[in-house]
Amino acid sequence: MKGQIILLLLTCIPMLAAFACLLLSRIGDRARDYFAQALVLIWLAVIAVLFAGALGGAEYSFTLSSFCGMPLNLRFGGFRALYTLVTAVMWGGTTILSREYLHHYNDKHRYYFFWLLTYGATLGVFMSADLFTTFIFFEIMSLASYVLVVHDEKPEAMKNGGTYLAVGVTGGMVMLMGLFLLWHELGTLDMAGLLGALEQASDSRMIWAASLCLLFGFGAKAGMFPLHFWLPKTHPVAPAPASALLSGILTKCGIFGILVTTVYIMEGSESWGVMILVLGAITMFLGAFLALFGIDLKRILACSSLSQIGFILTGTGMISLLGEENALAVRGTILHMVNHSMFKLILFMIAGVVYMNLHKLNLNEIRGFGRGKWMLRICFLMGMLGIAGIPGWSGYISKTLLHEAIVEFAHVEHAAASLKQLVAVIEWVFLISGGFTLGYMLKLYVCLFHEKNVKDQAKMAASDHSYMNRASAAAIAVPAVLVPVLGLLPHQTMDRLAALGSDFLRGAHLEHTIHYFSLTNLKGSAISIAIGLFTYFVIIRGGLMAKEGEARVYVDRWPAWLDVENLLYRPVMMTILPFIGALASRICDKITDTILYILKMTAFKEASHKRYYTLFGYMRKPTHEEAIHQELMESFSFGLLMFALGLGAVLIYLLLI
Amino acid sequence: MNQWITMLPICVPVLAALLSIGIRSFEKDTFRKGYVTATLSVTLLLMLLAAVCGGRVEYTIIDGLTFVFRPDGIGRFFGLLSAGMWLLAGIYSFQYMHHEERCINFYRYYMITIGAICGIALSGSYLSLYLTFEAMSFASFPMVMNSRTKQSVNAAMKYLFYSVAGSALGLVGFFFLSVYTTTTEFVAGGSLDLSAVAGSETKLLVVLLLVIIGFGTKAGMFPMHAWLPTAHPAAPSPASAVMSGIITKAGILAIIRVVFFVAGADAIRGTWLQKVWMILALITVFMGSMLAYKENILKKRLAYSSVSQLSYVMLGLSTLTAAGFTGAVLHMAAHAVIKDLLFMCAGCIIMKTSCTRVDELRGIGKRMPGTMICFTIASLGLVGIPPTAGFVSKWYLAQGALESGCGVLGIVGPAVLLVSALLTAGYLLTVSVSAFLPGADFDRTRVVKCEAPVSMLWPMALLALAVFAIGMAAAPLIDFASAVAQTIL
Repeated sequence: MKGQIILLLLTCIPMLAAFACLLLSRIGDRARDYFAQALVLIWLAVIAVLFAGALGGAEYSFTLSSFCGMPLNLRFGGFRALYTLVTAVMWGGTTILSREYLHHYNDKHRYYFFWLLTYGATLGVFMSADLFTTFIFFEIMSLASYVLVVHDEKPEAMKNGGTYLAVGVTGGMVMLMGLFLLWHELGTLDMAGLLGALEQASDSRMIWAASLCLLFGFGAKAGMFPLHFWLPKTHPVAPAPASALLSGILTKCGIFGILVTTVYIMEGSESWGVMILVLGAITMFLGAFLALFGIDLKRILACSSLSQIGFILTGTGMISLLGEENALAVRGTILHMVNHSMFKLILFMIAGVVYMNLHKLNLNEIRGFGRGKWMLRICFLMGMLGIAGIPGWSGYISKTLLHEAIVEFAHVEHAAASLKQLVAVIEWVFLISGGFTLGYMLKLYVCLFHEKNVKDQAKMAASDHSYMNRASAAAIAVPAVLVPVLGLLPHQTMDRLAALGSDFLRGAHLEHTIHYFSLTNLKGSAISIAIGLFTYFVIIRGGLMAKEGEARVYVDRWPAWLDVENLLYRPVMMTILPFIGALASRICDKITDTILYILKMTAFKEASHKRYYTLFGYMRKPTHEEAIHQELMESFSFGLLMFALGLGAVLIYLLLI
Repeated sequence: MNQWITMLPICVPVLAALLSIGIRSFEKDTFRKGYVTATLSVTLLLMLLAAVCGGRVEYTIIDGLTFVFRPDGIGRFFGLLSAGMWLLAGIYSFQYMHHEERCINFYRYYMITIGAICGIALSGSYLSLYLTFEAMSFASFPMVMNSRTKQSVNAAMKYLFYSVAGSALGLVGFFFLSVYTTTTEFVAGGSLDLSAVAGSETKLLVVLLLVIIGFGTKAGMFPMHAWLPTAHPAAPSPASAVMSGIITKAGILAIIRVVFFVAGADAIRGTWLQKVWMILALITVFMGSMLAYKENILKKRLAYSSVSQLSYVMLGLSTLTAAGFTGAVLHMAAHAVIKDLLFMCAGCIIMKTSCTRVDELRGIGKRMPGTMICFTIASLGLVGIPPTAGFVSKWYLAQGALESGCGVLGIVGPAVLLVSALLTAGYLLTVSVSAFLPGADFDRTRVVKCEAPVSMLWPMALLALAVFAIGMAAAPLIDFASAVAQTIL
């Protein structure tokens, strides 16, 4: 055990506090809720202090010499410090909201238990300095968060939660396979030592196989195409504070792993970069496209998460492809991660406020809820303008950096022409997806805050002054204030955050400051905004709403059968593969017993008692001689006699040879 | 003096069992509880004593037929593990056996069996191993048919048949191997007489395969695994727990003895035998998990799971590497603890609710929270979720397979382990999920608490803690196993 033990305490104490929560539940709900809130806020303060140190360049590290048979390495500083802070902020906000949100729920002790367990594990993931440590915390996080997802135990939640658990466990196993291969090939899993070990690695195919396994495992958690299917279904069924965490931070654990794989293992591999880029672009477009069709508030936000994860993955692909000139891509990726965490924190908490008042999420039913609620409206606007990348809000900064990175690729000299064409296509996918983002966010905004409820607007307005308590309001407002502050002062704030994280991703030094609000950069944003407005007014208002009675309502035009989970994954994983496996196993299982049975029925059949009857004499009693004969044949002495004869024969044989 | 210490853990429980025949108050509950607890605790202490300062006992009938008893690394490990589990399962069983008949004789067999197992652990020659092995089979089979129903008697006979057939193969191996070895005693690294082997390597390998299959019968290895899913559900739960947790491991110990202490790993490494052994183990791993996944009777599901898990250990041994061996030893400990715990939980459920099928267990977590928390912890351990014991052993098993140099099999091995872990999650975690999360439509108002009594819960809680403890602080066990591996490879 060496280094600063505070790092271990950072992850362990929330996990231990989880048990304290269980005990406190016996005293009362209030005690437990306040205990959890106090812990989370204290942790936020502690991490903020440490973060301030890290901003000044401090690095902390901690090693436990043996845990689960391997060293446990934690580190704090740079990117890790940044994301630990984001985690603390996320938990701070959502824990405060949880108290009000969960008021009517059962089994709150269970919720808080797994809530804090997930917290500690997530901190562990982001502080981990080697992949073994990452894996340990990742698995704990993955399983503990399952219980949060299915908290209300409704059939829908149980079904989709089951998918979440299955994807989590499968992803974990595949990831473990990757770690097996990597450890076998390199002999180290320490992130700092991976690159050095790779130089001596002999078998590049094994490294590829290991990386693909890791990508599968981490990608499944991040919601990367084609393992995205669980995400839009799982996030809506979880309680809103948990959805905020799932979307905002747990997916980032997956991204963290993908980044490590890309930067430290697959460094310099062009085909890897292209693969991540293409998968990212597909995720980015698919998520945004699905979000346009959604008519459920949380589903739209979940699809939006998918799309934003795609943006981040696109950035990751560019980090890989740009190689030495990756400064912009690195900064864009880091900042977009932070931004997305913050936006989803705000937006999912607002969704939570909607749900705890109305217990509904369908757009047609929650329409007009926010008309008189100014506080909610402003917070939502901050989240919306941020995520849509409007200049002046923080999303614009990160998206600009990502866009610049894509554009920059056209000027890279050694790249192949075909690759440049591909990246040019992806630039357009990027802009269109950005436009879609504005489109679906407008759809939500107009629905919630502009339109009147067709059925009962008075009921919506009734809660105008009592829709959430002060603590919840503060939890939503604080991150909402941050968005424009970061967006308006990028050089003072966001640049420093990016610089802090950039070493971890081996980002190149930035040669000049970026003029975020220059004309070229604004142009990209303008194209996206134009596409967004077109999307909203033409596609959404034109194609995705229908007249019903006198009002226009939102309709779900996405064909229900078009669902990759039901079409492909479930039949294959739940029916076809188990059937084949079980058939083969049954054959193996029965083979010995069957042979024994056959032998018993043939060669070793018990001699049937000789029946003493003739053709016409059924059931005749045996005569005296016959009875004696039978008794003799079955006697022990007879058996002994036969045995002695056999033994004698063997002895004679032995004598003869 | 030290010589007698070695014999004590073998003789004392057997003598105690025989003595109990003459004691009339053994039929009384309280006396029996005290008597059995005392015997088992004393056995554990004596095993500890023998492990620390036991000497060597040797008795030669005729030249070449030598009984040797002496503690050594792997023997100490197995002996202490067994005696410890026996004690915990024994304490658990008192309450459980209340609802079974004929528990007086059950405890006599229970005590004799641990004596035989200590004998297996301490035996230092092939002959003493074989003898104590047979003694264990015969002493343990009446426990299977304790309920005397037709089904359980049939199951016991099947168990006996398979066991005897298996040890017969082991005996055949003894005859052949005594020709090829310099001594019948166990020597770390093997005692092959290379001049005798020359020219008949294939014959040696065939014999070894027979021995592996023979002793593998006890360890539930394909193709001789079929007794396990029949016998375990028929036996009373404490008996299933120790059968699954310990008795099956005796087969593994026997294989370790034959492969690493008689033939030597070098004789097998790189031959077709190693591949065949590995393939058999992998088939069993997959088959067991798959059938457990498809099984609806809880105890049968656990039995199939044992089939699968025991072959994890086999896989580790078949790699003939230090990492694989370490993984095998770790998994022996992990599986012993976890499977004991799972069968104990199943026993509590059966005793309190008479539910035997998995689909009846919906919402049981609300009725028996303590039991089901233990069950869940054990499940996590068996799946291999960090930081539990199953995770650490899996790590070493997989590394062993990759290092084995068996080409494709080296990669298929870990992959099959992980598929099996996935199936394990499928057949165990689903039980926990439906137990604790029965769904919103579950009628909570009608839940009647029926938690198992404390005297059953605390041995279970102890094992549940051990699931984590073995995983988190695995270093001593790993060091121990690596040290043993050093001497025999």
